[in-house]
Amino acid sequence: MSERKERAELLAALHAAGAASEEDEKELAALIEGDPGLERVVKDFEDSIAALASSFDPLETSARTLGKIKKQIAREKGGVLARVRSWFSKS
Amino acid sequence: MSSEPQVRDPEQIVAAMAAGDSGPALSAFYAQFAGMVLALLMKMLGSRAEAEEILQEVFVELWRRAPQYDPARGSVVAWVVTVARCRALDALRARSRRHKDRQTEYAEGDALVTEGGRPDVLVSSTRWHQALRQAFQRLNAEQRAVLELSYFQGMSHGQIADTLGLPVGTVKSRILAGMRSMRTMLPVIHRAMKAS
Repeated sequence: MSERKERAELLAALHAAGAASEEDEKELAALIEGDPGLERVVKDFEDSIAALASSFDPLETSARTLGKIKKQIAREKGGVLARVRSWFSKS
Repeated sequence: MSSEPQVRDPEQIVAAMAAGDSGPALSAFYAQFAGMVLALLMKMLGSRAEAEEILQEVFVELWRRAPQYDPARGSVVAWVVTVARCRALDALRARSRRHKDRQTEYAEGDALVTEGGRPDVLVSSTRWHQALRQAFQRLNAEQRAVLELSYFQGMSHGQIADTLGLPVGTVKSRILAGMRSMRTMLPVIHRAMKAS
């Protein structure tokens, strides 16, 4: 593996593991611009760590929490939340 | 509440949420992911009360961000995990600001995933989950330790080096080696699951 590729893989791994510094992130972004195939490496690493993070035994949750979530969304629907969602959908 | 496996495609559910469905779609989404998110939050925060509070924030945020979700950029699970992790790290930072003198006790080599039961109510532990955890256990202790600190505690490679008393280069190498192993093992597990 070339030195450049190895560096790119290291930065992708640090990024996915949440250990990259700001400088690392900038360097990775620049490398991705020059080599879009690197995005695939980043995605593979992200999927791997996400799979691990989702592997803990699921815990019992309450319907009450879902009720609270729905209440909060209903409260915000049509208000600030609608504007935020509209902004996200445009961005 | 029931956490029986759902058959609806998560991407379709998110699309329905993006279109404004805060009824059946949100309920289905919660049924699929809340137990997993709560387990992750418990792992990171160690407090059930705090985890439940953040769980609520996470799902409101996921609903809010649903229009932004792009399947090309990652799976729904990865998206959910990323948002949950960010909120948990925010909570950890807020806690750390509140208790500046509190030192994180950490011994290199602590296992991320412990075997055996946990005191919380377990909903289900699928073979897929078990296989993933076993795969993680196959990483060596040093690799597990750095991934634990980076991903679940939100530490940069510099902070990990300070915490473990290691050169930064060693920390980076261990993260890369751990991530490479995880990336290699994932498709193997997928294939094994499909074959069985």
